[in-house]
Amino acid sequence: MRPRAGFLSWRCTSRVQHFLVGKNSQCQQQPGQPPQASHHIQRRFFTPQQQQDITSRSVQVYRSTSADPFVNLSIEHHLLQRSHPDSTVLFLYTNRPCVVIGRNQNPWVEVNLGLLRQGVPGLKSGEVINRPVDLVRRRSGGGTVFHDEGNVNWTVICPPAVFDRDRHAEMVVRALRHLGVATARVNERHDIVLHVDAGDARETYKISGSAYKLTRLRSLHHGTCLLASPNLSRISPLLRSPAEPYIKARGVESVRTKVRNVEVDTAAFSDAVVNEFQRMYGSDHVDPEEGVMVGEESALDMPEICKGVEELRSPEWIYSQTPQFTFSTHPSEDDPRPRPSPPPELPPNFQFNLTARHGEIQDAAISGLTYLDDVDSASQNQVLSQALVSQHLHRITDWREALGSASPVPVDSEPVGRWLNGIFLPLMSLSEPAQQDGLKVASTTEGRHHQKGQDIHSWRRIC
Amino acid sequence: MASIARCMRVARPLASLAKSSVSRPIARPFSVTSTNAIRKYTKEHEWIDLSADNKTGVIGISEYAAKALGDVVFVELPEEGKKVKAGDAIGAVESVKSAADINAPISCKITHVNLLLEEKPGTINQAGVADLEALMDAAAYEEFTTAEADH
Repeated sequence: MRPRAGFLSWRCTSRVQHFLVGKNSQCQQQPGQPPQASHHIQRRFFTPQQQQDITSRSVQVYRSTSADPFVNLSIEHHLLQRSHPDSTVLFLYTNRPCVVIGRNQNPWVEVNLGLLRQGVPGLKSGEVINRPVDLVRRRSGGGTVFHDEGNVNWTVICPPAVFDRDRHAEMVVRALRHLGVATARVNERHDIVLHVDAGDARETYKISGSAYKLTRLRSLHHGTCLLASPNLSRISPLLRSPAEPYIKARGVESVRTKVRNVEVDTAAFSDAVVNEFQRMYGSDHVDPEEGVMVGEESALDMPEICKGVEELRSPEWIYSQTPQFTFSTHPSEDDPRPRPSPPPELPPNFQFNLTARHGEIQDAAISGLTYLDDVDSASQNQVLSQALVSQHLHRITDWREALGSASPVPVDSEPVGRWLNGIFLPLMSLSEPAQQDGLKVASTTEGRHHQKGQDIHSWRRIC
Repeated sequence: MASIARCMRVARPLASLAKSSVSRPIARPFSVTSTNAIRKYTKEHEWIDLSADNKTGVIGISEYAAKALGDVVFVELPEEGKKVKAGDAIGAVESVKSAADINAPISCKITHVNLLLEEKPGTINQAGVADLEALMDAAAYEEFTTAEADH
């Protein structure tokens, strides 16, 4: 590889390309990130001629060295918005463990927020500890996926005139075939699947999805190829929400699909994809190690990327961008599905319905709570329900307290509040001191040991 | 005219708008007495019907765009009262794993949105042929009023 420290930006509005190297970064330092003190870090820059050479090329390749999903998606968005409209760009990156929901999805329906908080095992200073799994809302459509260090994410940005939903999935299939994965193909859902002979039967597993973001000037197609994830067995529970049976949501639902690892080395895959990309777009020379390396520091030093990271990290983006949905503890006219039996500790007559738009409660009706004073429950229910209206779901960090303070008379909010906490509590904001390095795991091999026998699990993937 | 009639059959209004004062004046190709809406398209397949008073209109996406997008599963509409410049995103649609922006064809203020699309996004794929074909064109209407008067 040819490591290069600089990263560049250009404005497509101008014939002359401007290279911005921001020095007024407003990015808030997040815990767990390396310090990003641009003023004392010695950075190498491209000469103006080198910069001109790279961004004026019609075919460009970038690889990120960051494992931060918020940074990588922001670099990707920057490339989408700022690359020359006629250029074709390949971007490759790998994220630390995270769950990525589609642009128009509902985190309460798609993921088990409690399990994300607990995290998955990972190595830190030679020890296996549980690290929380990030929740990310991307800008492209489609369903929910899990990423970790065993995935490579590939992105191709091209002019809308040549956009085709299968074109670049086929490119990745060719790369896989070069690596000896002969049975990979693109299916009718634009996913990459693998056929595996299992006795007499032939089974099909998804190994990479597809999602798209279409703008006025550019089309973006990306996918995440599952190569060697150590977390396959943990994915399915992470993507099963305890709230799902109670929620009817507008927007996009995920499709649950069987997945498996391709069992190809991530670096070999990346090189093969670069190779195919260059072959496809007629680069003068085919160099698998081609590509500008983009580092986290240089990326965050650019105000636009930094702003993108802040937006993607914000609860307003992750939760408030949720399409309208209703939650109801009991079957309703709108959502007649039978509900799971309520936990025995809930009051027997407890009922709760709410409608949330942009994550804000529009209307609520709660009943069956136990009031501790001798009061008219019906009117107390009304007062309490009304007090919940206009609250933002993700800002409620304890429902026991929220119900208690919304009620004008003392109420036993403990069992109901505890249950609602399990359903609605957002992931702890990363700006708060999180239990980042909490829970130690007994076995020191569990984290990275790849269990071949357990490769096959259902995984809710990009639909 | 035929082409306008065809467009009308596939009208998928997203939003009504009031032209903002900063927008470019649009020359009206029809006579001032015409009540025909003027439909103009952007290269990004949005259309705008400007009403006869040249102050308000309706924005939608073309049949071509709806076909290219495939089955629309989600529509996001702008807030009423929002002022936008030409080219600004005024909404978004999702179809076949694709999130696509819808941009304002001109600078304007959003006065109403078609909330049905949020509730039933697939409506955007259904050309309103049946409803419109049940209606009369000018000639048929004249015939109708004449017949009515005869009674």
